Amino acid sequence: MNILTRIATILGFLGHFPAYALAYLIETLVVIIFGTVAVAGMVYLFRKYMARVQIRVGPNRVGKFGILQVMADGLKLFQKESIMPSGRDDLPYKMAPVIVFIGLMMGFVFIPYGPLVWFGNLTVTHSDVSLVILFALIAIMPIGEILSGITSNNKYAMLGALRGVAKDISFEVPMMLSILSVVIMASANVSNPLDINGIVQAQSIPFIILEPLGFLIFFISMTARASFSPFDMGESDSELVTGNTTEYSGLRFGMFYLGLFGTIFLGSMIISSIYLGGYYGPFVGYFGFIWLMVKTLVLVIISLTVWLTMPRVRIDKFVTFGWKVLLPLSFLQLVVAGFLTLGGIS
Amino acid sequence: MGPQHPSTHGVLRLKLLLDGETVKNVEPVIGYLHRNAEKICELDYYCDSLIYFDRMDYVAAMNMEIGYLEAAEKLLAIEPPERVKWIRVVMAELNRLASHLVWAGAFGLDLGMLTPFFYFFEEREKILNLFTEICGSRQETNYMSIGGVYQDFNDKIIFKIKQFLKQFPKKMEEAYSLFIKNDIFISRTKGIGILEPEVALSYGVTGPMLRASGVPYDVRKDAPYLVYDKLNFDVPISRGKDVLARCIVRFEEMRQSVKILNQALDKIPDGPYFNPKAKKSLMIRLRGEGDVYARTESPKGEFGVHLVGDGTVKPYRLHVRSPAFKNLSILPYLSRDVLIADMVAISGSIDLVFGEVDR
Repeated sequence: MNILTRIATILGFLGHFPAYALAYLIETLVVIIFGTVAVAGMVYLFRKYMARVQIRVGPNRVGKFGILQVMADGLKLFQKESIMPSGRDDLPYKMAPVIVFIGLMMGFVFIPYGPLVWFGNLTVTHSDVSLVILFALIAIMPIGEILSGITSNNKYAMLGALRGVAKDISFEVPMMLSILSVVIMASANVSNPLDINGIVQAQSIPFIILEPLGFLIFFISMTARASFSPFDMGESDSELVTGNTTEYSGLRFGMFYLGLFGTIFLGSMIISSIYLGGYYGPFVGYFGFIWLMVKTLVLVIISLTVWLTMPRVRIDKFVTFGWKVLLPLSFLQLVVAGFLTLGGIS
Repeated sequence: MGPQHPSTHGVLRLKLLLDGETVKNVEPVIGYLHRNAEKICELDYYCDSLIYFDRMDYVAAMNMEIGYLEAAEKLLAIEPPERVKWIRVVMAELNRLASHLVWAGAFGLDLGMLTPFFYFFEEREKILNLFTEICGSRQETNYMSIGGVYQDFNDKIIFKIKQFLKQFPKKMEEAYSLFIKNDIFISRTKGIGILEPEVALSYGVTGPMLRASGVPYDVRKDAPYLVYDKLNFDVPISRGKDVLARCIVRFEEMRQSVKILNQALDKIPDGPYFNPKAKKSLMIRLRGEGDVYARTESPKGEFGVHLVGDGTVKPYRLHVRSPAFKNLSILPYLSRDVLIADMVAISGSIDLVFGEVDR
């Protein structure tokens, strides 16, 4: 019994259809709130971790251990005056952060969260093509970034957007190909390999063991998608001030900021679902959600460590790397996955 | 780009002509930190000019003070006691370390590395704490005076410096490995901003920039001042000619500075810490006549001071040969037809301090 049916049963007096519709809405809302809170928590974790790496203390004034610092910063962003550049293209300029934010938050709905004690299965959506929808949503986010760059009438933002485009086209193809090899392997075991839940269930052996190459490619691509160092050419702060977000302030900037951290979090959840067996672990019926979170946190910490130690890659080198290294390797992974599936190993 | 831009150190303004991402032409615009230091020095007593030198290269104030004093003491014919010379060497090398550490941190930031910055600045902070203990001030120390220093060294401070030196190389190498063992760092710096030695010489480039191009020119070695001729150290050069070579040379210089410090601390002789001819009550009566030029090796390069005296208590003319200014002049040449990211790396590798460029 999953959480959706539970809520629907409680709302049963409304009739079948309205009860389910309302239950869906409630759960989506809960997931989005969860996403926001998790991302805020990640910002706190990031700041503490960064401080630890850099021999500093980090936030420690607001609340115990500075836990409320992120909330204080968020409130500050709400209060701030939104300064907008003159000569902007008004509607797309205002839409851009919203696109990024909504694309991110919708992504959270399609993750299979797995069961948690008496709540039952926490997954919101059960679609046979949730993988496709998820990646379509992730592909929407760059549109927001590009829009923000070209409409804010600023040279740095423009250059940042151009770099963003060059970056996106060079990693998305390998990313999709490595996903495809996962789908091929999953198709041997389950009937719905395009559903992330199906992929999770197909992993009697986690795919990271069977497809280490695909995992690496996907991890690099997710890093590039989240655009933090070493792939932060889009907003490289020492060259382009802050790239496409240069002209944003207040809440709109906050949306981009949450978009960055949210992508790391969402990306880590996707990777742990696709390659690390998602919510599978001991006592999966009770603690599946916990397992997913543990795996995600490990990945987040790895990402942050990479972020903090790497210098920025030059954009042309990254494009070359994407097309000449990642792409052939992902084709190789595809072929290997095909053979492994034919050989019955999966 | 600039003058308020995160990658330009201080207040450099660069007019860039871009073709897409490629830099076609760079025109540095300087003068945002101009304080007319040379002219002010001409209106002051010889002993008072030091504070303006502190504020020239504000991350290497000691070296600036020594640069001025070399000229002033030559003009005023005041020889500092032997102990003072050794103390000055110690301070100069400590400050050279501090200056290179600042450079390394800022260079990391230019390339998008946030973390090494803090490692380098932690070490620099230790040096500045030593300075505070010795001279009561962190950066603009105003420690030296004509014919002497403001306060004498004691055993405690020598012990503390030695303690610092004991742990410093390990910490530096650890942070250095973040640079040199990183493939991305190498790919960002290797082969970028190649500076041929002939070009470097014709532009008047000095210091680590020149040595990274393979010219073993170091004033400390070629025209020794203070007691550098009694110390055993090497002049590191590199044949790489690129940004990476400049990085390697600067780190090697830090190792050599540690070597110099270790020798110098053991050899500081006893004696007075100022020349009685230039004690405080007499200082403003010092008169000088003649025309002297003194050069020293500041962390940025050859720092020259030209001092003309007309027999009064104030200099008639003072001119500063600023290494950072000369090194900056090479930037347009180096960043022709490179990407913006490379231009940032190149301008970072020059080690610009605007107090000195603009004076």
